[in-house]
Amino acid sequence: MHGQRSTYVSALIYTAASLLGASAFLAATTLRGDYDWVARLGGAGWVFSLMMIILMPTVTPWVKKRLGGRQG
Amino acid sequence: MKGEMAEGKVKEVTLPVAGMSCAACVNKVEKALEGLPGVGAARVNLAAGSAGVEYDPGRVGYDQMEKAIRDVGYEVPWDRIELLVLGMMGTHCQSIIEKAVGEMPGVVHVRVNLGTDSVAVEYAGAVLSAAQIRKTIRELGYEVSDKAEGEASLDRERQARQQEIRRQLVNLLIAAPLGLLVMAGTFRDYWVLHTFIPGFLGNKYVLWALATPVVLGPGRQFFVNSFNGLRRGVTDMNLLYATGIGAAYFIAVINTFWPNAGFGGEKATFYESAALLTTFIVLGRYLEAVTRGRTSEAIRKLMKLQPKRARILRDGQEMEIPADEVQADDILVVRPGESIPVDGVVSEGYSAMDESMITGESLPVEKRAGDEVIGGTINKTGAFRFRATRVGKETALAQIIKLVENAQATKAPIQRLSDTVASHFILGVHVLALGVFLFWFFGGFNWWFDPNSHFILSPTELSGLKVFGFSLLLSVTVLVISCPCAVGLATPSAIMAGSGLGAQNGILFKGADAMEATAKLQTVIFDKTGTLTKGEPSVTEVVSLDRREDDVLRLAAIAEKNSEHPLGEAIVRAARERGLAVPDAEEFAAIPGHGVEARHNGSLILLGNRRLMTQRQVALGPLLAEAERLEQDGKTAMFVAADDQAIGVVAVADTLKDSSARAVQELHRLGLEVAMITGDNRRTAQAIARQAGIDRVLAEVLPQDKAAEVRKLQEQGRRVAMVGDGINDAPALAQADVGLAIGSGTDVAKETGHVILVKDDLLDVVGAIQIARFTMGKVKQNLAWAFGYNTAAIPLGAGILYPFFAQVVSPELAAFLMAISSLSVTLNAMSMRGFRPPIRRGGRPAAGRPPVRAETAPREAKGIGQRLEEVH
Repeated sequence: MHGQRSTYVSALIYTAASLLGASAFLAATTLRGDYDWVARLGGAGWVFSLMMIILMPTVTPWVKKRLGGRQG
Repeated sequence: MKGEMAEGKVKEVTLPVAGMSCAACVNKVEKALEGLPGVGAARVNLAAGSAGVEYDPGRVGYDQMEKAIRDVGYEVPWDRIELLVLGMMGTHCQSIIEKAVGEMPGVVHVRVNLGTDSVAVEYAGAVLSAAQIRKTIRELGYEVSDKAEGEASLDRERQARQQEIRRQLVNLLIAAPLGLLVMAGTFRDYWVLHTFIPGFLGNKYVLWALATPVVLGPGRQFFVNSFNGLRRGVTDMNLLYATGIGAAYFIAVINTFWPNAGFGGEKATFYESAALLTTFIVLGRYLEAVTRGRTSEAIRKLMKLQPKRARILRDGQEMEIPADEVQADDILVVRPGESIPVDGVVSEGYSAMDESMITGESLPVEKRAGDEVIGGTINKTGAFRFRATRVGKETALAQIIKLVENAQATKAPIQRLSDTVASHFILGVHVLALGVFLFWFFGGFNWWFDPNSHFILSPTELSGLKVFGFSLLLSVTVLVISCPCAVGLATPSAIMAGSGLGAQNGILFKGADAMEATAKLQTVIFDKTGTLTKGEPSVTEVVSLDRREDDVLRLAAIAEKNSEHPLGEAIVRAARERGLAVPDAEEFAAIPGHGVEARHNGSLILLGNRRLMTQRQVALGPLLAEAERLEQDGKTAMFVAADDQAIGVVAVADTLKDSSARAVQELHRLGLEVAMITGDNRRTAQAIARQAGIDRVLAEVLPQDKAAEVRKLQEQGRRVAMVGDGINDAPALAQADVGLAIGSGTDVAKETGHVILVKDDLLDVVGAIQIARFTMGKVKQNLAWAFGYNTAAIPLGAGILYPFFAQVVSPELAAFLMAISSLSVTLNAMSMRGFRPPIRRGGRPAAGRPPVRAETAPREAKGIGQRLEEVH
């Protein structure tokens, strides 16, 4: 149960953070105005992918440790 | 999960793990295992392909550990035995065998096939042996024989590697031709290529059809493994490959089916990048699989020494049985040219043995009744019989193999550092790839992009690319070029080869840390008695007033013939060695604390110290000065008188071993300080030190204080090795940075010390340091190359040359460079094969000797000379 909970919590955190990063990218490119939609969406997708890859292995053990520490 | 295990329930097991290729794999497997409930710690060794696991057997089983390892993309090649079992009558027998064998500790799977009368068992070879499984089934009342030949573990290891080689070869055979076709099609319009490359190959749909099987076939392993790793929160090299290949393929597909999407259009399909990237990575994997196994050649050579069959004597009949079924106390028969199956003691016959494979001794060793023989050595000349004393896992060869395997499974401090760097590196590379993408997207493209620019070593123009395609390309190239495979392989591949080299020379390093510490030594301390010296007194000089030395020695020997004292034995031995007749004395009497008196042919012979001569009023004359000279050299001088006339002096001392002085000289050549530690008095100790050329003497040190003396030197900031007897000097060996247990013989498992020298030869101390330095030199070369490669390659991949030369590294060139980097590290480790320490090649002796500096420990102790003098 505890393992499942930490998996969900970490998935929520890294997905949200990656979406936030991708949204920031999208916002920045939209505000500058000189990028076509492919560059904006493609770039946001790539930023999202890399952020997921970076955050998944860092957030997961961190959350496991935090939740494990509280319980035990 | 660490620390959750109940104390006392913790067990350790070494699991074989196949398919790992880099430090990140190590991290991945360790994390997967440590994530299991009931697993305390997991230590993975990349080069040995094994994982040492501390676990609670009540909470976690082999199946779960195997599953965790498989889940992250690796194989567990268990030891496997297939037996022919006769007497099984039905499913009842099947369940009995499955239950009995299945409950044995170390058994993973049991499969009974009634149709073929066979039982296949998968088990952890580190926990139990095939012989134990056979014995269990036999005890249930069945007839058991091997269905396959022995050497199971060797075969298993070879099979696992060959499977990996075959798998990557199949991948390569798919990827390489298709990749070449894709490349030919992509570059068809350049130069004269269109004259012989058919037009349809340049069609983007044909390119898609050719590239897709490469990405989804041989490239699939990277996607699956990286996904499994990410699920468990770990990253590895596969992730770099997967993102690199995936991104290149993704852009190509978009440009094929939606050319106006802005990814570079029809001219920028990049199928050749995806296909060649996969091909080069698979090529790298294949070459690594082929070469990496060869760094462990030494251990396989040791394994091969064990003969499969043994000829034993039962009821007066010779019969052949499998070697691993020989029991202790069996009598075995060995003929010329045959290998010895187990350890034992010669009971009958005479021969010379080639023991070079175990002890490193190149000359044949004579064996007669009562002498020990070692399993795995080769009988050169005569036939003999011997009684088995140590069999199975107890034999010297099995112990040595275990010790070397354990050593190869440990990590040197330098490796822990590089593993940490490598494991964090992958995340760092992804962060860098993100940074590179953002930099080129928001700034670099606008500032420097030139539509006529090219890939390095490629005619492909980048004109079709727009800001996203170009930034993505550089980001992907960074991912591919940065792979730290070489960093991960640098240390274990060299350590593995180095510990094997040691084993071939009778030098057993107990761990990679021992190897690293040995390479860094500054001071070597030798125990004196029994290590530097022979440990028994012998006659060193005979002085006669009228040049009749033989007569003096003969009379002394006659007087001492009935003595059981070591001094007397040394005199009698010396007389016999000179071919002198030593008849019995008519009368003999020991005079405690003084010497002996004896009568021979009517003459009264006195042999003893000054006090005896003074008491008997024997005038010593010029002999007194001679005796003082000898005593100055640390020798025990004994006067000989016949009929109250002093006729000579016999000097006895514990002498240096043949190799001591040369070993000290060679250590000086290596730039090491050499010290000697002894309980002897300072005069005796200095005399020995002078002969050996030793720099520093620690005299009058009680045995229990030797460790404290070692500590004192360490406190002066020196990295100290202690060379001594593995049992008596154990505390000092343990205290030293490196404890070298010398002359341990073949019972290596009982030895303390970090390095075990099988032979009683001090030159092996030099050999150990030379092998350790050579190995660590290779480690440093490998690390310098690996880190150097990454340091140089990352800026190239990130496009540092682009603003100046308008050229970028293509993803496929990045993959090629990465593969070459890993391969060069493995080849460098392989080049260690065949290295012999210079001391064993007959190195040049050093000139000159440093001065002796004597230090006396502030304790009361008596040296051997002093003790002998008192007793006599």
